[in-house]
Amino acid sequence: MTSVMVVDDDQDLAEMLGIVLNGVGIEVDLVSRGDEAIDVFRNNPPDLVLLDIMLPGLDGIEVCKQIRKQSVRVPIVMLTAKSDTHDIVKGLEAGADDYMVKPFKPSELVARIRTRLRRVGGEISSNLTIGDLAIDIVEHTVTRGGKEIPLTRLEFDLLVALAKEPGRVFTREALLGEVWGYRHSTDTRLVNVHVQRLRAKIEHDPENPTIISTVRGIGYKAGATGPRG
Amino acid sequence: MAANFFRRSLFLKVFSISSVISIALIYFLGSNLYTRIADGIFEEKIASAIAEGDAAIQNADYRFIIASLNRSTDIASLVAEMVSSSDISAKDSGREIAFLNTSNKEVLNIPAVSTSNFLDPKTISEEFRKKVQADDALYWERAQLRYINGEILDGIVVGERITIPRVGNYEMYVLFGFDSQQRAIDLIGRSMWGTGILLIALIMVVASIVLRQVIKPVKQAAEIAEQLTSGDLLQRMDVKGQDEIARLGNAFNEMADTLEQQITRLENLSRVQQRFVSDVSHELRTPLTTIRMASDVIFSARDSFDPVIARSAELLLSQIERFENLLADLLEVSRFDAEVASLSLDKVDIGALVRRCADDLGLASKDSDTQLQIDIPETSIVIDADPRRVERVMRNLMANAVDHAEGKRIDVKVRANETSVSISVRDYGVGLAPQHIERVFDRFWRADPSRSRIRGGTGLGLSIAREDAELHGGNIKVWGEIGSGSNFVLTLPRVNGGDIVEPALSEIPT
Repeated sequence: MTSVMVVDDDQDLAEMLGIVLNGVGIEVDLVSRGDEAIDVFRNNPPDLVLLDIMLPGLDGIEVCKQIRKQSVRVPIVMLTAKSDTHDIVKGLEAGADDYMVKPFKPSELVARIRTRLRRVGGEISSNLTIGDLAIDIVEHTVTRGGKEIPLTRLEFDLLVALAKEPGRVFTREALLGEVWGYRHSTDTRLVNVHVQRLRAKIEHDPENPTIISTVRGIGYKAGATGPRG
Repeated sequence: MAANFFRRSLFLKVFSISSVISIALIYFLGSNLYTRIADGIFEEKIASAIAEGDAAIQNADYRFIIASLNRSTDIASLVAEMVSSSDISAKDSGREIAFLNTSNKEVLNIPAVSTSNFLDPKTISEEFRKKVQADDALYWERAQLRYINGEILDGIVVGERITIPRVGNYEMYVLFGFDSQQRAIDLIGRSMWGTGILLIALIMVVASIVLRQVIKPVKQAAEIAEQLTSGDLLQRMDVKGQDEIARLGNAFNEMADTLEQQITRLENLSRVQQRFVSDVSHELRTPLTTIRMASDVIFSARDSFDPVIARSAELLLSQIERFENLLADLLEVSRFDAEVASLSLDKVDIGALVRRCADDLGLASKDSDTQLQIDIPETSIVIDADPRRVERVMRNLMANAVDHAEGKRIDVKVRANETSVSISVRDYGVGLAPQHIERVFDRFWRADPSRSRIRGGTGLGLSIAREDAELHGGNIKVWGEIGSGSNFVLTLPRVNGGDIVEPALSEIPT
């Protein structure tokens, strides 16, 4: 059974989240303090973390960084009452994969959690290579010269989405649909921040990317810029 | 350009005015003085020349009378001796003598014309000779002394009629040059020019030093006022001494202090206010999320309820949604009011964006049988904009059009020119009265309060749309007529911060 750790200091909201998630067959572990969350995570690692930004003990951004130190893989979805760019970007840069602005629709939350937990590339049997990277879909690993590069699940999904169609230019909106499961969203910050994080891990020189290149005014594609083909 | 600079610089203006005035004054005084000195010198010379000429003529007259008494005296040699006695030429501050026969005839070996030092007898004009011939008085006039060799000299001629007994009528002229006087006057003139120029230069230097002293604090005040205007409230003037300039500085600094205090106070007030609105909205969001989820759980179980409770669950959910939208819009409005809204810029394909918005509203249009016609140029139009905000504007404009179209068709048109992109949303429904055109952007304003709310808009949509457009440096123009519908045109600059020279579409439909 899928387990989700909900870190929120509002008891009623946490309980309600528990009811909704239990209703769709997800086990919920409720934590109300930021500092406790790290211990709970260590002792009983969940499949996904729902994390409020404003928390007593230790704030959500710091919690996010600590959890990322322990696990590269676990998806983290931030819950925030603030839709200000500043906080969201800070959370994404701290390692969160996605965020939800309160108030949100329960169905939307469930959909987001499912997207983050699904295994990508199910339709692809063979492994992929892009540049000097080898992507193992089954093992969920990315290696360069036999050495594994630790990626978050979302970064892995993003890389697979681009690498399975090398040379195709993906708009940010298309990537939002493919990787994040958004149908109508123009929040391109999500894409931009994660592409930056991914590049920092896989590119030889993140300033001059060759594996994921920017197509100005449109979006991103796998492979170096220049004439296509 | 030069005239412009002249108008803009107080220093240049005052400096050139004072220079022109002092030059004019010095020139006027100098030339006046020069004329008076020159006149004085000439008058002096003329007086002495008349006296000397008179004495010489009297002397000659006397000698002719003596000679006429002594028959043996040769008159001719007397004349020659008298003429040649003037051996120092007028050119060398001496004098010339001319002895002319009134009838221009040679009598008794006395030449009709005899002059000293090769003086050209034409020096003495016919008019002057006539005057002298007329009676026995002494005459003088200023004349140019001419010599046979072509030399010319300014001077004076003094003449009188002399009758040599038994020989005839003669005129005797004594001529003097002004050469040394002219030299003295020239010297005076030159030194006056020199002094004048030196004086003017001195006045200019003094004026510029004094002007700089006065203008420096004024210039500083202007610069600091500009800095204050641009938001640097900590700038102050340097104050030295206790003169009027120091008073200006003190008064200026006091004004800046007061200004700074007021602005800081207002900023704090607005920050507190904005903080409060933002905190309230955020505090409301967490319980609202819980309510929302709870009502969703209740709503999804409504099939098992009795119809009244099931309907209540539906209403509960729809009103919570409305409440959510209202809260989101209020928070957005408070951001605009606090001027903390900022653009998150990206490259935006306007055509794709408009199609996406239209797709999202497609269902709503089908419900009200509204036909949406989209007209977008084939070449893609990519501009610098905040996609979230532009999309929100388009959703608001299209939703508004659907609300008021009364089932008639809606036209959405996209056009671009060099500087701007315009998107028009035209409906053929109820329309707008001219006096209502500006009011459509007012918060919570409705053209007809009794009209039912089909989509349950918050009443803030168009107001936010206009703020979003203006944040981009664009605008929304509206046209409307009762019964023939309305036309909303969003115009955005192609480049952020660019000017819209002319919108690509006019709000007046063609």
